[in-house]
Amino acid sequence: MTLRLRAVAAILLILWGGWFTGLADGGDLKDTIKNLYGPQGIRVEPSPFFPVETRFQASSLQGLDQLNNQLTSAIGVPSFNSSVAGFTFDIERGIPERTTESLGPLLTERATTLGARKLDVTFTYTRVNFTKLQGKDLNDLELVFRRNDVNEGCDPSSRLLLARCDIIKANLKVDLTEDIFALIATYGLTSEWDVGFVVPVTHIRLIAKAHAGIFDQFGNPGGTKIGDLPIHRFGPNSTQPDASGGGDETGLGDIILRTKYNFLRNYDGLIPDLAFLVEMKLPTGDEQRLLGTGGTNLTGLLVASKTYGRWFTPHINLGYEIDTKDTQQNTIRYALGFDARLLSELTFGADVIGRHKPDGSGTGDHIVDLSLGVKWNPIQSLILRANVQIPLDKNSGLRADFIPTVGIEYIF
Amino acid sequence: MPILPTRMIRFVSAVLLLAAVASFPLPGEAAKIVALKSADVDVYNEVLEGFKSISRRPIISEYDMEGDFQKGQKFLARLKSGPKPDLILAIGIWALQVVVEEIRDIPVVFAMVLNPTTVIGQEAHNITGASMNVPIEQQIALLKGVSPQVKRIGVIYDPSKTGFLVRQAERIARDQGVRLVTKAIASSKDSFAALDAMQGEIDALWILPDLTVLAPESVQYMLLFSFRNKIPVLGLSENQARMGALLGLSFESGRDIGSQAGELANEILAGRSAEEIPFTTARKVRLTVNLKTASKLGLQIPKEIIDQADVVIR
Repeated sequence: MTLRLRAVAAILLILWGGWFTGLADGGDLKDTIKNLYGPQGIRVEPSPFFPVETRFQASSLQGLDQLNNQLTSAIGVPSFNSSVAGFTFDIERGIPERTTESLGPLLTERATTLGARKLDVTFTYTRVNFTKLQGKDLNDLELVFRRNDVNEGCDPSSRLLLARCDIIKANLKVDLTEDIFALIATYGLTSEWDVGFVVPVTHIRLIAKAHAGIFDQFGNPGGTKIGDLPIHRFGPNSTQPDASGGGDETGLGDIILRTKYNFLRNYDGLIPDLAFLVEMKLPTGDEQRLLGTGGTNLTGLLVASKTYGRWFTPHINLGYEIDTKDTQQNTIRYALGFDARLLSELTFGADVIGRHKPDGSGTGDHIVDLSLGVKWNPIQSLILRANVQIPLDKNSGLRADFIPTVGIEYIF
Repeated sequence: MPILPTRMIRFVSAVLLLAAVASFPLPGEAAKIVALKSADVDVYNEVLEGFKSISRRPIISEYDMEGDFQKGQKFLARLKSGPKPDLILAIGIWALQVVVEEIRDIPVVFAMVLNPTTVIGQEAHNITGASMNVPIEQQIALLKGVSPQVKRIGVIYDPSKTGFLVRQAERIARDQGVRLVTKAIASSKDSFAALDAMQGEIDALWILPDLTVLAPESVQYMLLFSFRNKIPVLGLSENQARMGALLGLSFESGRDIGSQAGELANEILAGRSAEEIPFTTARKVRLTVNLKTASKLGLQIPKEIIDQADVVIR
């Protein structure tokens, strides 16, 4: 019991630590890309042909907002799951039996719970290096800026009027990585009912660099010219063509509270074990610092699993996540996979994990990942875990090539 | 950054932290009852709860030997080197085995142990406890109640493991007007021949909590024998009833076994010697009736038995 209390105290201390980290003063990382050239757009050098101050507004500003939103919504922590007990009780023989089932899935859920008065504490580290946005390389994004009077039309009879259709293209390189350290605790209130939380501490790095160039409507560099003189050009009095911004932030992410109730277990025939899981993600991460989403999310998940031959457990998770801040971000969550005990102390797990936003904006509305991982139980209550998430479709949303996670888990 | 959740988290975590720290046992607190648990299993935790709900003295230390005998021995060695507790609660068979080896001069109450006499020798005078065995009288009465045809109850057993139980059962069966047909075996392989030899000689089969008999292939053969010969089987658990036994009878809960152990501890701490207190059997039982099996056997289960059942498989 003392050991368990120490574990609880340690968890709370770490939770406090995460909270203090979250108080560190930080900038407005969220608007890094949007603000690369300033909110007023790109101002070109005053021209002798066109003495009025000319500005180019990013038609991609909406896209920049979208990128910011995608960054925000991509932030999160890996799913977490309950673990298996070290022993089960053989009622007929009157002896505890060491658990010979698999050690459970890595990122998804199975219906069985941790067990009464058991405490599972897990630390995980996840590295996310985003490389694609809607299938486009984050190192080669292009933003297009148009003159603020472009709607008045481009008249080819006059060079000055034709120049309204000049554009500025900015090539954008985005370096976006997340390091997530998560403390995950699950406690078995009864043999069928678990409660738990996830406290993520996130380090996020967002560096954006852009280089802008002026083109005419046909794509010729330099834009529309009168003679050899370009109508639009960069100079000492204009916005500079090279811009950069961003930085690093570290702090508390969005804390998740969760509970799982296993309402059907060991039933006859093909009927699987069934559980219902409820998760609440709190807006504890600073949205402006890209540490959280800024909203409270509620998730209900039905979990079905069944163990065959005491070593192979397929499972299905199906649920709905409500984003109380923006209902268009409401998500159908699903997972289909299995965990299998390959050796007595080694479990392999594979899952297809999906998220679908029925009312989404079209960007990242359906994300599907393959998760592969192993759990190793080297000594009695200690489990080491490693897994990798691989996007099955990189053309949807903000994606990494792969997302590795390692962790250490102890059951008290 | 939302302010309210952050403040709430700060407040809640502060309260929880203080509560956790305040719960640590203080050094120098006098020992009363020490609990040694065989492993961290739900049913053993229920035993602890049941014990605490009845015991008049607090459990000041709980130790989980995690199925490791050496851990249990080291714990008891540490215990013997310090101030002696008033009583040791041994939960589960492994804890009892370690305690039997190591402790002679401290009263011991065990709980949730099957066939405790196979672990505790004649020379141990400091041990009593609450077994998880179901009373034999109740089992024989249940089999008799299934059908008036049940006059001969077949039992396969390993004399080294459940010989004591069979001797008691023979006497009780006689008292209840039925005959026990027994076949002794030395290994699980012998059970097939033993069962075949019982064909036509028995009206019901009773599965004993005997590790030799409980080999999976033996249990399966007993269930097959039951269907072939259309005789009912009384198993040890809901699981065996789900496998096809007509009836499954087991203890009701770890909590109740724990409370029985708590009562025994109260008696000892009130001054009674452990040696004077007999082991107890489960006073509350859990009955499972498989009506699918009853139908296959062509049996009509009396309503009073179905009414008593905790689980009815239809």
